[in-house]
Amino acid sequence: MRFRPGKIALIATVVVSYLFLYLPIVHIGLASLSRNSSFPYPPHWSFATMSRLLGNSLYQTALGNSLLLGVLVATLSTALAGAATIGLMRHAGRKTTLFLALFIAPLFVAEVLLGISSLIFSGLFLGLQGNLGSAVLANVVHCFSYALLIMATQLYRYDWRLDDAAMVFGATPARTFFEVTLPLIWPGLLGAFIVTFIMAFNNLEISFYLLGATPTLPSVAWGALRYGVKPELYALATCVNLVVLCVLAVMFVLMRTGLATFGHRPERERAAV
Amino acid sequence: MSYISLDGVSKQYGAAWAVDRVAMAIEKTEFVSLLGPSGSGKTTLLRIIAGLEKPTNGRVLIGGEDVTDLPPHKRGVAMVFQEFLLFPHRTVRENLAFPLRMLKLPKTEMDERIDWVLGILSLRGLEGRYPNQLSGGQQQRVALGRGLVGRPKALLLDEPLANLDRELRQEMEVEIRKHQTALGIPFIYVTHNQEEALSMSDRIAVVRNGRIEDFAPRAEIYDRPKTAFIAQFVGRSNRFVGVLKREGATAAIDAGAVALATADRPGLKDGAPVAAYVKNEKIRLRTPETLHAVGANALAATVKHVILRGPYAEYVLTWAAGEMIASRPRAEVEFSAGDAVVAHWDPADVDVFPEKEAAA
Ligand SMILES: Nc1ncnc2c1ncn2[C@@H]1O[C@H](COP(=O)(O)OP(=O)(O)OP(=O)(O)O)[C@@H](O)[C@H]1O
Ligand SMILES: [Mg+2]
Repeated sequence: MRFRPGKIALIATVVVSYLFLYLPIVHIGLASLSRNSSFPYPPHWSFATMSRLLGNSLYQTALGNSLLLGVLVATLSTALAGAATIGLMRHAGRKTTLFLALFIAPLFVAEVLLGISSLIFSGLFLGLQGNLGSAVLANVVHCFSYALLIMATQLYRYDWRLDDAAMVFGATPARTFFEVTLPLIWPGLLGAFIVTFIMAFNNLEISFYLLGATPTLPSVAWGALRYGVKPELYALATCVNLVVLCVLAVMFVLMRTGLATFGHRPERERAAV
Repeated sequence: MSYISLDGVSKQYGAAWAVDRVAMAIEKTEFVSLLGPSGSGKTTLLRIIAGLEKPTNGRVLIGGEDVTDLPPHKRGVAMVFQEFLLFPHRTVRENLAFPLRMLKLPKTEMDERIDWVLGILSLRGLEGRYPNQLSGGQQQRVALGRGLVGRPKALLLDEPLANLDRELRQEMEVEIRKHQTALGIPFIYVTHNQEEALSMSDRIAVVRNGRIEDFAPRAEIYDRPKTAFIAQFVGRSNRFVGVLKREGATAAIDAGAVALATADRPGLKDGAPVAAYVKNEKIRLRTPETLHAVGANALAATVKHVILRGPYAEYVLTWAAGEMIASRPRAEVEFSAGDAVVAHWDPADVDVFPEKEAAA
């Protein structure tokens, strides 16, 4: 092969970029799985910190709360954003852009601000004490906008005249939704669900203000920081990363097999057999 | 009592009327075409009949029942869409089964019906395919099958053959008409293709700017156009513009280089500006030796070139005031480019309309 500086520079850039992205994560992974956790090079493999994490009841409660928060937020925001997106797309008119802009605007509010103002709002007007419920509501505000963006890109391509066809052939509006619309747009809904789940699961800025005394993984990790970073924290981070990677892997496999597109379309249609 | 009636149906979009005071009565065994140029409101009218669009004014009656306020799934009509709109996540068989499942038919009858449709539309062997694994013609047949399988009260077809090549289209025209006759239900067929409308329909409604220009048997639409628009839109014609001169039982048109004779037009004033249309195939050709007299309804011309259309030939002629086209069966004397000819036609074949209307 000929010596090509351009190609070498390109490969180097790619390698450096990926190192930059993944080195911290790999470092934490190594640290959580070795005895010499402060400088695991080379690692002395051990599951000690992992088992200490699993024995810690605070972390277990936190994990449970985080999962609950994630699922509730993802379900609520996906359902709401789904309804909003379908409404916007199906009955598109001159005001669609305005409605869309207003739905997406919360994305541009800093999460910390959203957290503080939600805290004040919940306390003053809703009479909500800081607990999981108020945290779910505040996170839904944020995740709704993301879910809407994800679904809008997917539903943009949906041909609403398919619904017309279903109705002409005798399907009620509800039947039309479940037989035609949903089977064709579910990848968009699933994509929105997964992304909002990960966002809520990992969220600290908003949840921190609204959780009250309820521990979640990010808030426990944040609290642990004050007493010095313990190896359990490495283990925790590794576990969280593993969960997220698994979810992403599922999405990736679904996309590769063409089962779902999540808004990304390599070809226009399912490949012919 | 006709089977489908439209009673003053109008549809307004913003300030524009896409459908404007349409009244039609369609019989149970009729094949009706809605023929009109793009944007004339054909699709809108069809969607109103299907219930996909609510008319701003007017009523729709199907089988004697006022369905104006019924949603599409309660009307029992079916539609073949221009874009087919097959369900992409369903196989051919599942697409065909869809209307039957909505009717809650027993399984054995569903299988029977699907088998019937697969047979008449030669779709056997494709049952398991998805729509994107079919050719355009196959998709079109599935769309037609989905329309027929539920034995609807009426079938609405929105330019279903527009995406097919000419040969396949002509084959399908025959097929579609055959199925309509067999089922004995009205077909309302939207097209902007006059050949399609003429080949299949019992009656043709010519649509223009949301209004029905004329609704009449196809031969009448073709042979005796009621307006200049129809004369221009249906068939291919030569147009002459001139001034009308009434002379007792006949009328003459002074079109400058040529004079046209026609039957009297009592509706038109002496001296009115008019446009006259003579269909291409009504123009006959002779050699100058056999027809000297160049008088009314005859003019001297030269063949510019000849377009061969199989059974007939189209002669593009130049004459003193421009060009004209005559199409003649090839069995007649054939001319070739450069030949001098005399073109002539019958007074009965001259359609005359006030020029103001013709210009619109
Ligand atoms: N949803 C709508 N909103 C606004 N205007 C519309 C809408 N649908 C149709 N129109 C307008 O109504 C008129 C008639 O449209 P329609 O689709 O019925 O025409 P068409 O005869 O089917 O034309 P084509 O042969 O091109 O399909 C057009 O001027 C069109 O722009
Ligand atoms: Mg149309």
